[in-house]
This record gives sequence, structure tokens and C-alpha cells, in this order.
Amino acid sequence: MANVFAFVETRGTDVRKVGLEAVTAARMLAEKSGGGEVHALLLGPPGIAAKATQVGQYGADTVIVVEHPGLANYSPEVATATAADRIKSGGYRAAVFSTSAQGRDLAPRVAARLGVSIVTDVLSFEIEGDSIVVRHPMNIGKVIATIAIAAKPAIIAMRPNVIAPARNAKAGKVENAQPSIDPATARVKVIETRQGGGGKLDLAEAPVVIAGGRGLKTAENFKLVEDLASAFGNAAVGATRAVTDDGWRPHSDQIGQTGRLVSPELYIAVGISGAVQHLAGMRTSKTIVAINKDKDAPIFKVADYGIVGDVFEVIPALTLAVREAKKHH
Amino acid sequence: MKIAVCVKRVPDMDVRFRIGVDNVSVDEAGLKFDINDFDAWAVEAALKLKDKVAGSEVTVISLGPDVVQETIRKALSMGADRGIQLKADKVPFDGLVIAKALSAELKTGGYDLVFFGKMSPDSSNGVVGPMAAELLGLPCVTAISSLEIADGKGTAKRELEGAQEIVEFSLPAVLTVDEGLNAARLPSLKGIMAAKKKPLEVKPAQLAEPQVTVRKMELPPERKAGRVVGEGASAVPELVRLLQTEAKVL
Amino acid sequence: MPDRALKVVPSAHQAPLPLERLILTESPDAEAVSMDVLFVGGGPAGLAGAIALARLVKADNEAGGDLGDVQIGVLEKAGALGEHSLSGAVVNPIAIRALFPELKDKDFPFRAPVGGERVYFLTRSRAVRIPTPPTMKNHGYQIASLCEIVRWLGEKAEGLGVNIFTGFPAASLFAEGQRVTGVRTAPSGLARSGDPKSSYAPPTDITAQITVLAEGTRGTLAQAYLEWQKVASDNPQIFALGVKEIWETLTPLDALVHTLGWPIPKDCFGGSFMYPLSRNLVALGLVVGLDYKRTSDDVHEMLQRMKMHPLFRDLLESGEMVEWGAKTIPEGGYYALPKRRHGDGLMIVGDSAGFVEVASLKGIHYAMQSGMFAARAAFNALKKKDTSSASLKEYDTMIEGSFIAKDLYRRRNMRLAFQESNFYVAGFKAGLMTVTGGALPGGKIASHPDAAVARAALPPEPFVPDGKLTFSKLDAVFKSGNATRDDIPSHLIVGPDITPEVADLYTHMCPAGVYERDGERLVVSPANCIDCKATDVLGPRWTPREGGSGPKYRQM
Repeated sequence: MANVFAFVETRGTDVRKVGLEAVTAARMLAEKSGGGEVHALLLGPPGIAAKATQVGQYGADTVIVVEHPGLANYSPEVATATAADRIKSGGYRAAVFSTSAQGRDLAPRVAARLGVSIVTDVLSFEIEGDSIVVRHPMNIGKVIATIAIAAKPAIIAMRPNVIAPARNAKAGKVENAQPSIDPATARVKVIETRQGGGGKLDLAEAPVVIAGGRGLKTAENFKLVEDLASAFGNAAVGATRAVTDDGWRPHSDQIGQTGRLVSPELYIAVGISGAVQHLAGMRTSKTIVAINKDKDAPIFKVADYGIVGDVFEVIPALTLAVREAKKHH
Repeated sequence: MKIAVCVKRVPDMDVRFRIGVDNVSVDEAGLKFDINDFDAWAVEAALKLKDKVAGSEVTVISLGPDVVQETIRKALSMGADRGIQLKADKVPFDGLVIAKALSAELKTGGYDLVFFGKMSPDSSNGVVGPMAAELLGLPCVTAISSLEIADGKGTAKRELEGAQEIVEFSLPAVLTVDEGLNAARLPSLKGIMAAKKKPLEVKPAQLAEPQVTVRKMELPPERKAGRVVGEGASAVPELVRLLQTEAKVL
Repeated sequence: MPDRALKVVPSAHQAPLPLERLILTESPDAEAVSMDVLFVGGGPAGLAGAIALARLVKADNEAGGDLGDVQIGVLEKAGALGEHSLSGAVVNPIAIRALFPELKDKDFPFRAPVGGERVYFLTRSRAVRIPTPPTMKNHGYQIASLCEIVRWLGEKAEGLGVNIFTGFPAASLFAEGQRVTGVRTAPSGLARSGDPKSSYAPPTDITAQITVLAEGTRGTLAQAYLEWQKVASDNPQIFALGVKEIWETLTPLDALVHTLGWPIPKDCFGGSFMYPLSRNLVALGLVVGLDYKRTSDDVHEMLQRMKMHPLFRDLLESGEMVEWGAKTIPEGGYYALPKRRHGDGLMIVGDSAGFVEVASLKGIHYAMQSGMFAARAAFNALKKKDTSSASLKEYDTMIEGSFIAKDLYRRRNMRLAFQESNFYVAGFKAGLMTVTGGALPGGKIASHPDAAVARAALPPEPFVPDGKLTFSKLDAVFKSGNATRDDIPSHLIVGPDITPEVADLYTHMCPAGVYERDGERLVVSPANCIDCKATDVLGPRWTPREGGSGPKYRQM
């Protein structure tokens, strides 16, 4: 019997999907260790408290709500101090974060503050006696390490999109709390969070990712990819390094070894040859489709399904076909 | 300004890896090593500040066996001023152990800024920088993609999923560098020669007990071979059918 | 060869060497880096030379000599030592033993001593075992990866204080009168248009008392120097192209294997090799003379077809190709050596001078030994404070008195015999040469430069690689580790009048797919180039480009 802590990532007054993933993962961990409670920490500006119910729906027995006007943006020092204090006082077996951009910033600090180790980008976890044993990809996904965490609490950060948020309604009892430090005194202040591109689905969260490469020939032709994405409705658009280096797409869209690591249900590579450093970013996608005019392109070696053809003919045809298919869904 | 950069020697990722006979490490035979790209960008960030602020000094620190001196020299040949090797038989697996050893050294340096790379592709954890910051009790901004320092304060940008954060922070601080901040300068021939004469101190690393252990390392299961469904737009109906019925993703 | 076919003579379409770019009469930059001896090229010749020189200087200083701090530099165009090194290889350890007399054979970076050897004559379906020609006997030699040898030599050199500059190609020589005074390196970070990008790094000027050109096969600066100085040779240098692969195999290969015959056309010179690097690692390749007779002759493709022969297929089928690469080999032998390999402030060593013995496929020990001779001559020159041609002539004197000249002389007409006649007659002549120790046939067989040989413009036999045993050039280049940026400026100088047939020639000549015929015109993808230099021999001239470009060989 052990209680597990979950950090619920927010942006403004929204709970992010990775936050719910953390709660679900914490729930699974609690079950695996013989049952126990899940306590979720929810930090945000006024209005965040309303999201506590949702967090309860996904398996939190207690939702610690820290609502403060100084938390309109992420505050690393406030989050670190508040999470660490709570984890310490709560005597949790484990604490679950997400390996999102924020999670990468927050979770290691919390761990260091508590004097314990941490494993990020976790694919799966098991309880083995006194240890929590996790799987973690190394060497750009070419090696998988199985790591035993002896520390208590064990701090882990899940890879986004690997645990699907699962409804598992628990009490969701709200506990209102104060931030451990006054946000005004923080030495690191996020003064603005600028939305990029207005409402686009994020690469790490989208069930479908469609990526474009050099084969599209010009930046303008990315419209083809965007049209296909909108036909799917739940797709995000990514790009290869060649294309972001050339400035056709923003850097944050780059999928690859040094860019974003994605693991969607469906990955469609459009006009991408399949350089190793790109494959590293998407090789764990469940289904990979490649469209390229060169039948010898390395991408066909990792694709589950491929079409050899001119992207300018195939993609519009595919877009139409997907729209049709979705209509009857 | 006194600036420190922590760097790591990592293997070239463009190879097929083999698991060592002990099953808990990667076989290093035949691997080629170089400075972690993220750390090279961190060195570049430090050097850019040095170029701007007269009288600045950049110290490069690396933890590990003597081979890491090559990596330190590479940073020195880019223009860093001095190097410190925290000597250890192996680079520890536990990020906290590394962070503790590095911060023990950094604490003594009186640095205005400490740079790390956001992560290294081999261990793929990305934790040492922020952990070290916490141990040093310093403000920390991770994964910066732009940076300005003026009057003892800094402003940085961080990429988020579908958004960007603009962050202000006070100095001294710890920063971890993401791709896109800069392009690492290539060592000039003169720089390579000068690096040989720059001081490189070797000190023993203070290693704490690890709290994580590697039970096993293995290669991921091979993806099942796929197939080319057809050619041109005429193959689209078959692809859609397969995505619906076989892959069940549509 | 059907006479009706259109003939392509490659030399008619080649641009001349851009001498005005390669030999600079302006003064080096005021900020030039100053070296005492500079080796251009970090292969076995350059590194052996640098090591030998460093040791000589060290010994001299320790004995109370007055040379003091001698700055020795090695410039290497690849991003790291070994990345552009490729060879079979079976190495005669004579030179490395002489360079490191204090080390034992087990200390050297060899893979294994040569065990058994087998030579086959291949037809499309059969492999007929033939007795190993005496010229090809390799007993006592070592199987090795040249990349590994070069990296090992590099460590030794650095340990001795040699300055090794990787990623710095030498693009031009500085000349003051007849004297070579140093080099200028290539700039990096230029866009396709030639404009500097944000990553631009300008060229670096280096002055040196002595420059040693160790650029390997078809060295650009070596060619430029010899042309500038009007140094003749009895015969023009001729070349073969070797395309090589490394395979992981399930079953071990138990001997060195060489083959003659299929799939090399009867009017071409060449053969294949297959060597065991370890229990489950095999190096194999095909070497074909560049004086082949059809525009459709394609060495990479011949190698791919060859692998389908049961002799190879049985071993490779269950395995996986892990590396691929290519390089030319100078084959002109004794009579193609430049008559003078030294000048004021300059020496030429290794493959750049043509020190390769074709019949035995050996050049590494000659490269190293010539580097060591150059080191000795340089050392003496520094002591005497005389780096003139008269002083450095000692280098050529040492070469002439050594096993390098002796070996090359003994086999002087071997390869040339194959230029003259068909394979079987030539084989007889070669055999005669061997048996008589070079005495017969006597005289000197004249040879023609490869580019002067006419080729029939014939369509190729269609070949579709399967992607498992046989590979397209695109897949192959990927396995060379080539990650050159796509927008690199072209380093290749295309000559006049590129007809569709010439485009075909280039398409098949280049193993890396740099050239493609698109309709009537030639399309050039310079980023694919792996610096084998076949293009410089038959097609567009190769010039030095941004450091770190090209292949990244690991175990070649």
C-alpha cells in the first residue's frame, strides 16, 4: 500500500493532456503497489480550481489545488518548491511527472531538492520488491535500458503519449493549498507564454503526425501536408531537419534526434528520404506510412506501408480519401 | 564575466549499437566520440558572451576518465580559456551523482553563469543541468533557444509544445541550451594550436552512491518489415483500406 | 567493341586543372600560422612521415642537438582521421615495424595474419580454383582495416606532439619563385551560390619550410605541382577504381579470396578481393581499370552483380552490409612515377607519387616508407638549414635505393600488359614477367592516359538492386557515412560539350551517383561525392572543398 503523487501540468487555466497522463500513470503505479491513493498537484491562476473535478475523474483521490494570481504562467521555482514540499511531507512511494518541456524543467529540480534520483522519458514501469523498475530509451531510441530505482520517493517522468489518460473516477477531494514560496520573489519569472500558430495540435500529443521533407520542394507546398492534416482532424504537422534548417518550418516542428521525439498512432512521412537522425524521432510510432518518389529511399525500410509516387499526386488523392473515410466514421 | 560550461563526451549516434557482454552497458568498441552537440552550443553561448564582455573567462568542466580531456581540448580550441577534468573511472549512470560532483566543483568557482547542454543523446535523461542548479541553489532556465544578458539580468526564450515562454532571470544562474540557440563555431587552426597550451586541471571527482541501477540494456525489437502498397495515386484506396482494417488507425 | 557505336573520348570533355587557383603566387596572410614541416594528408604516408620526423627531432634534441621546438603539422580534409581512408587491406608490415622498432607485431593495429588464400576464375555461374599467382602470395602479411591503422598512427603522432588538424583541406600551394612556402586551406560554410552563410569560416594560411604532399590517390596539389614544374614521367599515371563493402556475416570466411574474370568484361583489367576482418566481418571489393571500353561500364554495378555469384552469395545472403565506399588506385607503376618527387621546400609521398604495386595490390607499406624517407630528408634539411631542392633530393635518392623502387621496377610492365591486349594474352605476359623476375617481356610498354581511351556509347544492361544483397548507389552512399550538407557549393569543374553520351559515361563512372543523366543534360549532386577521384581521372575535375565533407569510413 503506497500513495503516489502526480504533478498535473497546466497552461493557464487548462489542464494539459500530459497532466492527465501523469494521473493515470500514478493510478496504475498505485494499483501495482497493492492499492494506494493518488494525490495530484494542480497549480495555476484563478480558475484552475474548476479543473479539479476533471483530475478526480482520471483517478486522483485528492487534488491539491494551488490557485494564485502570480501563477498565470509557469513558475519554475514555485512549482519546484511546492511539489517538493508536498512530496516530502506526504511520504509518497513515487512521484509521477511528464517528460514535456515543462516536465523536463521541473521534475529534475524536484528530485534534486529531495536528494533523490530521477529517470525521465519513461516508457513503462513495474514494481519489483523494493524497487520501481522502469524502461527508458537511450542512444536516440536505439537502446532500451531497464533501470531499477531504489530511492524513495521514486521520481519518474513519463514519455508523453505512452500512457493514455484513462477515466477512473475517484473521490477527487479538493485540498486548497498555498504556493510554498511567493511567486513575486521568484528569481526566474516567465513573463509571457506566447501561443504559436493558434490552436494547432501539438506534435507530442497528436494521435496522427504528418511530416514533410525536402520532397515537397518548397515551403509553400507544405499546404499539401496541412490539408491532409486537417482531413484527419486530429493530426499535427511536423518537419525534417533539412526543412527546418532551411526555414520552411519553425524549429519546434522538427522531428528527429535533436528535435522532437514523437510516438503517435499514425505517422505519415511525406517526401522524406529517411535520414537516420529523422528516424530517431519517430521510429516508435505505432504505424508508419511513407510516400516518396524514390523507391530506394531509406524511409521505406521502416515504414509499415509505403507508396512510391509523386507526392503532388498522391497526397491530394490521400486527402480526399481520408475525408471520405472520416465522413462515414 | 566568469562563465562555466559543463561538457560531455558522447558517442556518434549514427551507428548500430551493440550491448556489452555484461548486458548492462553499450559496447564501446569501434565507437567514435565527440563533444555532445548540445554542449557545443553551450560552449558557443559562453564564448559569445566572452566576446561581448571584456575580461570574461570561460572554464570548461567534464567528468570522466582521461579521454574526456579530448573533449575539454575541443572546447578550448573553440576559445574557452581553461579546463577542469573531474576524474572518474566511468561516467556515472545516475544523473544526481553527476550533478553532485559537478556542483561541488562549480560551487568554488564564483561563476556568473553556468551553461549545460539540454540533454545528451546517449543517456537521454536531460537532468544534470537543472539538478546541479538546484544543488547550487541557483536560478535555472532550461532549454533556452535565445538569450540576452544585460546588467546582471537575463532574458531567454524557451520552446514549449505549440508555444514559447519568455523568461527573465537574475544572475548568477544556470542555463541549459537547446538546439537553435546558435551554431557552434568550428575551431580554427590557431585555436587548435592554442588549446594545447591552455591549462587543464585534473581533480578527483567526488562521487556519491547511486540510487538507480541498470538492470539490463537491450536493443529494441526489430520493426516488422513493411511493404510498398503500390505506386502513385492509384495506390491510395488500398492504403486507406489497410489503415482502416489492418492497422486500425483510420 | 562494335565499331558502329558512337565513341566518347573523356579527355575531350575535361576541364584543365585550375592551376591559377591551386598554385598561388600572392604572399600568405600576415596572420599565417607558421609550421616547420607540414604534411598535407593524414593517411598512412603523412602520419608515418610526421611520426618519423617527430622521433628524429626528439632523439636529436635529447642528444643535445640545437633544433629545438620543430612544429610538425598534418592537414587532413576529413572531419576525423581515417574517415577518408579505404583499402583492402592486406598489409606488408615491413614499414610499420621499421617505424616502431620497439613494438611487437601484436601491438600493431592489424586484424589477423593472413591464413589461407584462394584464387578463383569466375564465370557467370562457376568459380574455378586456380593456383595463386606468385605475385599475389600474401603469406606473412596482415589483414587490416586502413581506417584503424590511420587512427592508431594518429594517436601515436599526437602523443609525439604532432599537430593534427582534421577538417582542414589544403586547397592551394603558396609559391615564391620555384619554392613552395606553404598552403592555404579551403573555406567552409559557403552556400551553393558561393556566398558565405552564417557558419562561414575563411581559409587559413599556413607557412612551412617544407611541405610534404601526402594527398593519396590523384592528389590535386601534387598534380598541380608536377604540372607547374613540368615534371615528366615516362608514362602517364593510370588508375583503377575500387568499390568496397564491409559485411557482417553469419558464417566466417576462412581465407583470403581473390577472383578474376566475370563480371569484369574481357577487355578490362581487374579483379575482386574478399578478406576476413574477423569471425563475422568480411571486407570485399572489386577493382577495375579506368581504361574500360564502354560508357556503360559501371564498377559499382559490377560489384553488385558479382555478389549474386554463388561464391559470394552463399556467404553474404544471411548477412548485412554495414559499410560501403570507393577509391581509385594509381596503377601506372614504375614508369608512371614522376621523375622528380621533390623540389624547393617540397616532397611528394605515397599514392600521390604513385607508389603502388598493382600485381600484389599493395601500397600502404610503400606509403609509410616513403613518408619515413621524406621525414629523414626533412630532418637533415632542417639540421643543415637548407630546404632547397638540392637538399631534399636525398628523399628521391632514398626511394631509388629502397625496396619501393626495386619492387616497382620488377613489376614495371605488369599492368601495362593489360592495356595492350586482351586479358588472356596479358595474363600470359604477366606470368612471364613474374617467372623471369621482370626481365621478360623487356623494354618499356608505353601507356595511354585513361582519359584518352575511347569508349563506345552503349546502353547498359538493366540491373535492379534488391536492397538486401545488392544496392543502388543512393543506398550505398548512405552506408559510406556521407552526411555532406545538400547546399554545399559544387567542387567539381565540368568541362566542355557534355553530350548525353558523356553524361552517360559520368553516370556510370561515378560509384556514388554524383552524376545523373536527366533527359539530354547532366545533373550533378556534389554532396554525394565520396572523394574517390574517378571523376578527376575521367570526368569533371575534383577540387578541394569544405573540410569534413565526404564519407565517414569507420572500418574501411
